[in-house]
Amino acid sequence: MQIRFKDICLVISVLFTLILFIAISSLFVVPKPHDVITALTSPEMIYSLKLSLITAFIATTCAMLIAIPIGYALSRGSFRGKKIVKSIVDLPMAFPELVLGLALLLLFGNTAIGKIIETMGIKVVFTKTGIVVAQFFTGLPYAVRIICSTFNSINPRYELVSRSLGYGEFETFKNVTLPLAKNGIFASTIITFARCVGAFGAVLILAGGSYMKTEILPITLYLNISYGNIGMAISSGIVLILVSFLAIAIFEWFERDNVY
Amino acid sequence: MFIKIAHLSIDLKDFQLRDVNLDIEKGDYVVIIGPTGSGKSVILETIAGFYTPETGKIILEGQDITYFPPEKRNMSIVYQDYMLFPHMTIYENIAYGLKKTFDKGCIEKEVKHIARLLKIEHLLHRFPGTLSGGEAQRTAIARALVVKPRLLLMDEPFSALDVKTKKELRQLVKTALKEYQTTTVHVTHDLDDVWHLATKVVIMRHGKVLQVGPPEHIFANPTDNFVADFMGANTFKGKIIGEENGLSLLKLAEGIKLYSKDQGPIGQEAIVAIRPEHILISPKSSFSHVSNVFCGRIINTKVQGHLVWLTLDIEGLYLKALLTPNAYELMGLNERGRVFVTIKSSHVKIISSSRKDKGEFFRRQENR
Repeated sequence: MQIRFKDICLVISVLFTLILFIAISSLFVVPKPHDVITALTSPEMIYSLKLSLITAFIATTCAMLIAIPIGYALSRGSFRGKKIVKSIVDLPMAFPELVLGLALLLLFGNTAIGKIIETMGIKVVFTKTGIVVAQFFTGLPYAVRIICSTFNSINPRYELVSRSLGYGEFETFKNVTLPLAKNGIFASTIITFARCVGAFGAVLILAGGSYMKTEILPITLYLNISYGNIGMAISSGIVLILVSFLAIAIFEWFERDNVY
Repeated sequence: MFIKIAHLSIDLKDFQLRDVNLDIEKGDYVVIIGPTGSGKSVILETIAGFYTPETGKIILEGQDITYFPPEKRNMSIVYQDYMLFPHMTIYENIAYGLKKTFDKGCIEKEVKHIARLLKIEHLLHRFPGTLSGGEAQRTAIARALVVKPRLLLMDEPFSALDVKTKKELRQLVKTALKEYQTTTVHVTHDLDDVWHLATKVVIMRHGKVLQVGPPEHIFANPTDNFVADFMGANTFKGKIIGEENGLSLLKLAEGIKLYSKDQGPIGQEAIVAIRPEHILISPKSSFSHVSNVFCGRIINTKVQGHLVWLTLDIEGLYLKALLTPNAYELMGLNERGRVFVTIKSSHVKIISSSRKDKGEFFRRQENR
């Protein structure tokens, strides 16, 4: 019998999915339900979940506000150095989060910019603000990517028609481009939020992982693993997984009919 | 001069314009025709202000608008793929340009009026996604016309439509433009648009304007080989003298009678165009059931590349026809030989049935 290349690919993908599935489900199967419930209702977990949601919400909002203009510029603009801007914005996606955290730590701790921000009364290093900043920089490239491709998928002639009918650039953006990009922007918000909630390395370095102070869900997982408190660790893992599943589900839902 | 385009050049890598000069009179219907990639769309979008030319000027009614943003030019644009805003209803699409300046009551009146004119009244509450091609294009034209633009720009507006819809829409556009008295620039690669709509034709290739003039003039006097190949047609003066079985009967100045599928008012003078490749030649009369069959004589043959150009004499009417050398050989044709000439009524095009306008146009051309 001839083994076709297609079949080999299929077997590999099924095997991999299976392993991933077992790994994820072991999160739900290994611990005792009682332990999970106790862990979920512990003050540490509630604190961590709350802080995670609040910081990720703020970081996502900021990221979206910045990503929309950046995405639009990258999609529509033809300026010198566009490629460089694109690669720098995308960079955090490729390089280790820990290094991103380190870079941010140096920026806010050791440079003039950091000093200026500190004199304005904003302390970033080892604070909750630091969590937001780290999440923001982790999530931004994803936001920009999706928004840019959303704008790319909108025919610029819609904008030209609106302009020719008497509307200026910003009015056209508001009346035509933004409504057409609605689903893409929503999808990008969801993915960015998921990315912010899951941000770990950069948060650990910039905000420090202090118990019940700058403790977000990934930090809870990390701290409890190091104490040997497996129940707590697994519970925060479960919450994190649920958040990503929800995000992916909503993302798929909105991607489905995002084509005009 | 209504619009003067002088020495316009732009380089967009894929498309270019090179030293384009064009004068447009108020009320003109200018059709820009040329093969794909000839820079036709670029010239429209440059006139609309979406591209800034590298050199040259666009003067609209004496005002230099070369560097005006699109929203300050009061020109509307209609695209082949409609570009209706998918998140707005048909009503909102048409009303979009009016919202900028008019109040609600006035908008409703204007929208209803143009919707009636273009026969899309019953669609006003629907969304663009549910329309047919013809309906969508009528909406796009309504949206463009309702703001009473100084210049209407149309980029291949009928190219995506089927033949029947195209025909209907051309008629509707003609009616609507007449009412709104809009000067129009229309880009196409479809000669039928020229036959039916143009008062002035611009032929473009590789970003350059090759020839400008009234259609019958260009068909009869192509200035270079490309234009001749692309546009060259036999043109004759004549008169519509009757109607039979849905065909117009024409009498040409040379005395010959021809049937045409194109319609026109009886008694009106007309210019008739027949493309050389649409003239069927045979040594024997075998198409007796077809409307236009004549007996004639070959008075000249000229081999040009892969084609043979024949000049035929049909009772004093000189006609250019085109054959492949193979067909010429096979039929055993020779110069001075007698042949039968068949022309389908659908290939006899009435390109102008308004004598007065053309007369004025010719005089203007001559004055220059």
